[in-house]
Amino acid sequence: MKRFSMWRYPARWPLFRVDDRLLLIFTGAIVGILSGLAAVALNRSLSFMFDYLHRFRGHFLAFLLPAGGAALSSIFLNQIIREKPGHGVPEVIYSVSRYGGLLRFRSSFSRLISSCLTIGSGGSAGPEAPVVMSGSAIGSNIATLFSLNDKQRVTLVGCGAAGAISSIFNAPIAGMIFTMEIILGEWSTVNIVPIAIAAVVGTEVSHFFTGDQIAFSHRNFSIHPLDVISCVGLAVLTALASIILTRMLRRMHGVVAKVSLPFWLKAAVGGCAVGLLGLYFPDILGEGYHSITEMIGGIFEAGILAAALGAILKIVATSLTLGWGGSGGIFAPCLVIGSFVGLFFQRGLTVMFPYVDWVNEGCYALLGMAGLISGILQAPLTGIFLIVEITGSYEVMLPLIVVSAFSTTISRYFEPASFYLKDLVERGQLLRPGTDSRVLSDLSIAELLETDCICVKKDMLLRDFLNIVQKSRRNYFPVEDEKTGHFIGMVHLDDIRPYLFNRVMYDTVLIEQIMNGKMMTADISDELPAVLSTMDENGFFSMPVVSEKRFVGMISKATLLDQYRKELMVQTSDT
Amino acid sequence: MKLELKEVAKSLDLPQGTVERWIRQGRIPIQKRNDLCMFNKAVLKKWAKMHNLSCNLSETPDQTEPDDDQVPDDDNDNLLSSMKRGGLLVDVPGNDAEFVFRYVVGRIPELSTENKDALIERLLQREELVSTGIGKGVAVPHPRSPMPEAISESLVITCVLAHPIDFKSIDDQPVSVLFFLLSPSISCHLNLLSRLSFCLRDNAFVSTLKALRDKHVLFEKIELIEKQADGKG
Amino acid sequence: MGTRLLHIFRNTPLGRETLFQSAYFCKQTGFSLVIYIPRFKKFLMYFKNDAVQVDLDDSYLVAHKTAEVHAKEITESLGIEPVFIQEDAFTASTLPDIPSDFDFMCCPRSISDMSSKVSLGHIGSPVRRIVRSAKFPILITSPVFKPWKSIAVMFGGSRNSVKALKLGFRMARKTGMPLDIFTQIEKPSTRKEYKAIVTSKNFDKNLSTYLHHWYLFEKHQFEENLYDVPHDALVVLGAYGHGVIKDILFGSKMETIQSTLSNNLLVVGPKYSQVNR
Repeated sequence: MKRFSMWRYPARWPLFRVDDRLLLIFTGAIVGILSGLAAVALNRSLSFMFDYLHRFRGHFLAFLLPAGGAALSSIFLNQIIREKPGHGVPEVIYSVSRYGGLLRFRSSFSRLISSCLTIGSGGSAGPEAPVVMSGSAIGSNIATLFSLNDKQRVTLVGCGAAGAISSIFNAPIAGMIFTMEIILGEWSTVNIVPIAIAAVVGTEVSHFFTGDQIAFSHRNFSIHPLDVISCVGLAVLTALASIILTRMLRRMHGVVAKVSLPFWLKAAVGGCAVGLLGLYFPDILGEGYHSITEMIGGIFEAGILAAALGAILKIVATSLTLGWGGSGGIFAPCLVIGSFVGLFFQRGLTVMFPYVDWVNEGCYALLGMAGLISGILQAPLTGIFLIVEITGSYEVMLPLIVVSAFSTTISRYFEPASFYLKDLVERGQLLRPGTDSRVLSDLSIAELLETDCICVKKDMLLRDFLNIVQKSRRNYFPVEDEKTGHFIGMVHLDDIRPYLFNRVMYDTVLIEQIMNGKMMTADISDELPAVLSTMDENGFFSMPVVSEKRFVGMISKATLLDQYRKELMVQTSDT
Repeated sequence: MKLELKEVAKSLDLPQGTVERWIRQGRIPIQKRNDLCMFNKAVLKKWAKMHNLSCNLSETPDQTEPDDDQVPDDDNDNLLSSMKRGGLLVDVPGNDAEFVFRYVVGRIPELSTENKDALIERLLQREELVSTGIGKGVAVPHPRSPMPEAISESLVITCVLAHPIDFKSIDDQPVSVLFFLLSPSISCHLNLLSRLSFCLRDNAFVSTLKALRDKHVLFEKIELIEKQADGKG
Repeated sequence: MGTRLLHIFRNTPLGRETLFQSAYFCKQTGFSLVIYIPRFKKFLMYFKNDAVQVDLDDSYLVAHKTAEVHAKEITESLGIEPVFIQEDAFTASTLPDIPSDFDFMCCPRSISDMSSKVSLGHIGSPVRRIVRSAKFPILITSPVFKPWKSIAVMFGGSRNSVKALKLGFRMARKTGMPLDIFTQIEKPSTRKEYKAIVTSKNFDKNLSTYLHHWYLFEKHQFEENLYDVPHDALVVLGAYGHGVIKDILFGSKMETIQSTLSNNLLVVGPKYSQVNR
């Protein structure tokens, strides 16, 4: 019996007892394969649905398709799986920072199906976030299955995300960087190796199934120095587009919240609107990889105005889809919008400076994509490496960096938090490793409790109290009610100083009369940051902690500093 | 190596909750199986050193116990035992403080000659500063700083003089009873002094001192008073 | 920190019965009662190695305004002062996290299905998940409030039932009620062997203090013998002590017990770790 259950504890296998890094590499590879498979599955079923539904596109009722898809997907999420609609990446980040990457098992497939319904039927959303969510959930559940600890689980969650992104874009480095930059928020040697392996494995999986028919093929561009300079202008445009998209999404959520309709009807309304737009401008439908490929290839025929319109309509369609309850991410729409913006900019340049030999529009489309990723996700490295890997050439590096850097800077000025992190930042739940808020949220009040205070009763005489003072090492004496045991106040040594040398008072003064009955208290289940801010506001150095009205100990800044340092050292050092 | 969580937390000088959380989060090289912590001692020690944490791991957890109980050292050293060690000297001759000091110090068997001279000098120095005569005919001569090199255990030597001498006491009364306080540490000294002064608050006790001849009577009295004090405090 | 029991309040007559059970439990043991009044149809509990999403039945959101008043009325009628908790963190905007560091939790037999389905032999899957991953015992209540006057421990010798026995002793100590032990002898093992298990865990003293009667069944089916369990006893038992496969092949004792007995059950899950208090 024991033999059989051993497989669930790989940490005890003789091979992995030597070094737990081997264990992580091994499990990371498994997670990479599975999340790569998830990505391939989603990609395959999307293209299948696209092909199948293509024949109905010409029909005048085709605009109902996205409506049906969105409604189905929201019913699936809300009623069957009972998860919240949305792209899910904040959930992953939240769980990584607060609960050691614990994710529900159902998350590992729920988003795949619902986003497949939304996007496959024509809704404008991206499959990346759902795949990341699935990959992460797979990683988390494998860690749980193998009884790994939090740190290892977080690494496996990262492996899942990296494998998914690498597989869908055929870009292992972009997958790695995406994970480090957005999901984990830390760069540590322990994490990097398994994540890199998962990324490579994920890419190989997608190679194996899709052959070399990858989403985007390699190209070469010759970049002129003038192009680099013009990139500043492109960066301004992409930043503008990302700000509009972010604001539009948020506005849409606000509008939708006011509409009182059943959730599935809401999704259908959004889908309908997208479908109507799609009737006149089919490029904005779906995840849009097809039109991206066209634009990069330079075979996108529409003119400058069409490109501008495309960017704007895609923004509208995306916010309609996601805001009204469709399921999917924002990564692919970003790429589409980015390439429209890039195309528009290139066409504008050739109109304004017809004699300059600008690099072709495909390159600008790519640069625009990088600009939008940097602007919305505020992940410049992800944008840069994704494009480098898609193009396969290092010549675009310089303009890429210029676009990404400027786009991030400008949009950060207007939107301080990235799209994925916005919710978390607003709730104060963005707890990146090694930061002050993370350390504070990890420490609990129970760990900081000083329990060497001696409790006194409220009707004790000062004389008896002085005897207790003699024995105590502390300046604070909590006062309890004799009958109920409830905490009613506090005596500080300073409070008895005036009576200390007056022997008459010894037998006449009761503790009840000296004590401070209005002490602010912290509850043991309070969060440390909240307690600390109370202490800061009132200038306290220590505070009594109660649990169900009973005194349990003191919390003081001195002990806090001690524990805080230990915690910080343990958290930031890498072993 | 297997230990209970409680013991690990104790040896690392950390709250139990912290260790438990670190194990769960994988920040400390310990694995938990059921309720036991499993770890490699050398690895854990190295880890603790790297993170500036103290680590007093020992095979038998009981050995760490005495280390923690260093503090009450001066507490169990009560007045009675010091007095028993110091003993009682009656009918001490002499007309001035210095003579009395020489006589008494000369009768401490543990001290070498050099230490005796040094002690007398220090006692006199202390008297020059402010008299140790605390009134009611009692004085408590002691050196200003402890002499751990000469004295390993605290001593209280009780002396009843043959005739009262002038000691420049605070109440200007001549002194007939002296308690020599010799202690190895300041905290010990303060403890003895506070206990002694508590006893001397009792006027009846002080008045019996002058006629004291039998040391057992003295010890019984002291024991009684100390018990009262301890019971109360 | 005091010992706390978490109760998810449902503002319906059935929920009232359940809350009465919890309040009675707390009154007998002196533990404090923590009540959560849900505002959303689902919530998450993060346990040490699992995140359990609990989906609630619609009836949990009924008449939210009167919920707190009702809960107070019920508990005060038994002289218990409850603590109300709010969700303090959200995994997603409509998915709150509920702390999981309680010492007990009270569940009706099902919390996600319609209350009309609640009957013997049916335990909802979220409740099972909670039992499986919680480190605290779960109080599974009978549909109607029934005060209990003794404690019955189902003891079969497995590791989990040893935990259950320990918990039974703790309950007996807290409540001062008599304790009965029920053992079905399956293999030809004798009373001595069970005694040996108990002795090896140093339970002797507890046994002599609290044990009222030790029922050992050698004949008949387990189900039939369960008739001997007093109708007004709190039944303490361990659940899922063995692997999944064994459960499917042989069935679990817990399933038998919960589908036969309508008593209040205090179920010790496999993750339950003994807290010495």
